[in-house]
Amino acid sequence: MMKSLRYLLGEGVRNIWSNRTMSLASVGVLVSCLLLTGAAVLFSLNINAAMKSIEGTNSVRVYMKEGLPVLSAVKTGSEIKKLDNIKSCKFIPKDDAIARVMSMLGEKDAALLNGMTGKDNPLPDAYQVSFRDLSKYKDTVAKIQKISGVGSVNDYSDIAAKLTKLDHIVTTGGFWIVLLLSLVSLFIISNTIRATMFSRRLEINIMKSVGATNWFVRIPFVVEGMVIGLISGILSSGILRLLYSRLTMTLTSIVRFSPIAGGSIWGRLTLVFLLAGCLFGALGGIISIGKYLRKEGGDIVDW
Amino acid sequence: MIVFQDVSKVYPNGTRALNHVNLRVDDGEFVFIVGASGAGKSTFLKLITCEERPTEGEILVGEQKLTELRRSEVPYLRRMMGMVFQDFRLISNMTVFENVAFAMHVVGASSREIRRRVPYILGLVNLQDKARCHPRELSGGEQQRVGLARALVNNPKILIADEPTGNVDPALSFEIVDLLNEINKRGTTVLMVTHEHSLVRKFRRRVVEINSGAVVADSCNWEVPQ
Repeated sequence: MMKSLRYLLGEGVRNIWSNRTMSLASVGVLVSCLLLTGAAVLFSLNINAAMKSIEGTNSVRVYMKEGLPVLSAVKTGSEIKKLDNIKSCKFIPKDDAIARVMSMLGEKDAALLNGMTGKDNPLPDAYQVSFRDLSKYKDTVAKIQKISGVGSVNDYSDIAAKLTKLDHIVTTGGFWIVLLLSLVSLFIISNTIRATMFSRRLEINIMKSVGATNWFVRIPFVVEGMVIGLISGILSSGILRLLYSRLTMTLTSIVRFSPIAGGSIWGRLTLVFLLAGCLFGALGGIISIGKYLRKEGGDIVDW
Repeated sequence: MIVFQDVSKVYPNGTRALNHVNLRVDDGEFVFIVGASGAGKSTFLKLITCEERPTEGEILVGEQKLTELRRSEVPYLRRMMGMVFQDFRLISNMTVFENVAFAMHVVGASSREIRRRVPYILGLVNLQDKARCHPRELSGGEQQRVGLARALVNNPKILIADEPTGNVDPALSFEIVDLLNEINKRGTTVLMVTHEHSLVRKFRRRVVEINSGAVVADSCNWEVPQ
């Protein structure tokens, strides 16, 4: 049994080599499919992490009206503190705010803002306000907005909603694209295997004539599909890892953004890629050989 | 033993290939099947190998009723049979040894068994020196002997030869049938389809003639039916 299995596995690998152009095409399509799936998953995970971090801060930035004297700003701050859902209320003077913007821009670009410090600072004073109960978020924001001296409230609930919407679009769009590409992958893989089958039809006929079971005929083709799937899984996992690290490196240098770290995600994603690749490959093999065995492959020869 | 009891075969397009055929081939017999093209010889072979099922009647191969045989059992029936084809059907990128060993791989034989059995069979067909050759390096007669070795390697009870001398020089035809004769003497039932009357005359075995889907002559006499 083990010897037969070893022989059949060897035959499967041999099929790939003897039909390498089509195998390469299959790997290409499957890699694209897996890459898109992986990208959609990573995007979704990052959006979720960003939303959690927004929810985690539990806070809003309350900007004072332009030109509001510091004393009035302090008074406004105490009005805010009086509201029942306020956990903390920290004053952020406009000088600290501009200094923070300058530090984010880096040494070179920060020089552009040199003329905007001191009296010429265009930023308003602000309060970083955190809430006790997030369910009263909107209500509390509305109450803050009514307090005199408050210019605007940076309401993150809007960003969270936008992120949710974006996540939904990416998930839905990703699903359909991945579904379409999956079907294309299956079609290409089964055609690749069909081409191998066509080139090996004499062997199949001889196998049938000497009493090979359908599974014996099938296994090398299923192995062929699975190896194509495994190669695609490994390749796409590597490519995605590389692209993700490059992209996050670039993004974090442009905007304040903390992407989810690889770590355990890569392990799971690679495993999923390998399993998905294997599954697609095996399915492609089973579909094509099944069709063949039901039709011409059932015959031994033209007697 | 092969028994055809009132067997008819009608294809879906309406062609009646066999018409109420009754025939019995005992174990260890050597039977020449003759008949014109389209007479029903191929259908006769297809029914024995279970590639086709009869429309009417019953076929027995050994103890096995073929009409009751499930699809999944067909491979095991075929393991009782060896098949030799007119066009040899050898795999060109395999050596002689590999071509013969291939039939053993299919039935799950171990490498040790293959290493022991294949040289023995190649010796039986006088090809022990050609084990490493590829089919293209062999003559037609030698290629057919490889086909014969492949058919015999799994020790079949029945050997079905479909015009095995059709692509071989007339002089070598006798050599092939001589080999089949030797195999038959060891107890294997041989069914050989042929158009060559000279062979039938020379080897003096049972001759069954099929014409228009019916057995029109069944003679243990060596004379070719007219």
